[in-house]
Amino acid sequence: MKLTRVLVVEDDADIQKVVRMSLKMRGVGEIVVVDSGSECIERLARFTPDVILLDVMMPHLDGYETCRRIKQDPATCDIPVVFLTARAQKADRERGMKLGALGYVIKPFDPMTLHDQILALFPGAAGGKGEKGAGGKP
Amino acid sequence: MTLERHILDSLSSGLLVLDGENRVSFINRTLAEMLHLSPEQWVGRNAEELLLVMMRFAQPLAAPRFDWPEAFGSREIEWRDAETLRYFREDSAALQPEAAGAGRVLAYHDVSHEKAVDRMKSEFISVASHELRTPMTSIKGSVDLILSGFAGETSPEMQELLEIAQKSCDRLVRLVNDILDLSKIEAGQLKLNLERLDVTEIAVRAVCAVKPLADKSDVRLRVDRPAPLPMVEADPDRIEQAITNLLSNAVKFSPPKGDVVVELTADDHWVQCAVRDQGVGIAEKDLHRIFGKFQQLSEGRRRGGTGLGLAITRGLIDEHRGSIWVESRVGLGTRFVFRLPIGSRPSPGAAELTGKAVKP
Repeated sequence: MKLTRVLVVEDDADIQKVVRMSLKMRGVGEIVVVDSGSECIERLARFTPDVILLDVMMPHLDGYETCRRIKQDPATCDIPVVFLTARAQKADRERGMKLGALGYVIKPFDPMTLHDQILALFPGAAGGKGEKGAGGKP
Repeated sequence: MTLERHILDSLSSGLLVLDGENRVSFINRTLAEMLHLSPEQWVGRNAEELLLVMMRFAQPLAAPRFDWPEAFGSREIEWRDAETLRYFREDSAALQPEAAGAGRVLAYHDVSHEKAVDRMKSEFISVASHELRTPMTSIKGSVDLILSGFAGETSPEMQELLEIAQKSCDRLVRLVNDILDLSKIEAGQLKLNLERLDVTEIAVRAVCAVKPLADKSDVRLRVDRPAPLPMVEADPDRIEQAITNLLSNAVKFSPPKGDVVVELTADDHWVQCAVRDQGVGIAEKDLHRIFGKFQQLSEGRRRGGTGLGLAITRGLIDEHRGSIWVESRVGLGTRFVFRLPIGSRPSPGAAELTGKAVKP
């Protein structure tokens, strides 16, 4: 399996570039990057990605609330959400996973393995555990 | 009114004295004001009646208790009066038998301010960690991508310099993680997810985690467990973190072809885990500071250690009410040993219902 369409929700312009390049390097064809939770919701009306990479700390609509809305809408609830965040405490992870996320990857992540890390989270993937990150521990 | 009475009424803490038959023998003015009652009406009445009054404020699980099994006890309780929530520390001590009628003395100290400071500290740790991780993500991401060749070829000199940046960034990430862990331990905010577990499984997991590092240094890892271990109540992730810290230290200080052994034993009270290496050892003059913060030996610094691993390990074991120590001889190696108690968690009702017991 390979990711072909990814929606990246991230408000930091530098991290946007790193995520984009990291996925591009692994051959992801369509990478759509948006700055905010509300843009993410809007974009999902006309773009169905394989996975949404969702930051948590964003102004207005934060990542948790964005995830809640995605999971509540029958049109988007089946799209896997992976949090990609610097919120590294155990309680933050638990909160994200309770909202129905597929996984929780902590920043700083390893750009060389980000694509495979996300793939490994999908059900049936070898070693898929739901919670990963180069930054490791809570 | 006697001078003693004036003194006790002027205290900022509430004070309650119960006699040997569990009757109220004294309430100071501070506690009476907290409970909106007149102290004179209560002297001589049964403590259970007073408990019902107190439970109106300290609802629902954190009711004050007069039946402490131990001579001394201390815990936090939540105190809600109308819309105001405050936190009190309840200290309870048995009166000396020679004191009139024996009984207990209970003191209620307002710790709301300390709680607020703790909360601010916790928020600060969380925000600081987030704010540090964000730029580190961009630095690490960019450097890793350049090193991968994705952005074009780099000269050997550029490669070398970028590798320095990469190594330092990885070290910074470890440092942020460690400082965060240690701050949580020191602020008493580490939450243990306790479960009944066999330390053997955790030790095997830790060995697997450290194996790549050991292979790189040509050090052999082994778990020795002569007999099955009794179960202990512990947080598996935190115990794995402790053993991993000890193992990676042992590997760092081991000579090539050296053995690092995890020895697991138990008696009636403890499960013991020792990590033994054949490394350089620690001079006796350095042993006392080995668990301190940033007390690295030069080899540890050279190998990218943060200098906080042992302080964290000790904190984690302390949180489990265990003990940890080190035995070492220069030139012969070092043995770090920790013990976890078998079945000695506090009973529900005391610490667990109210959050945490306050350390004496």
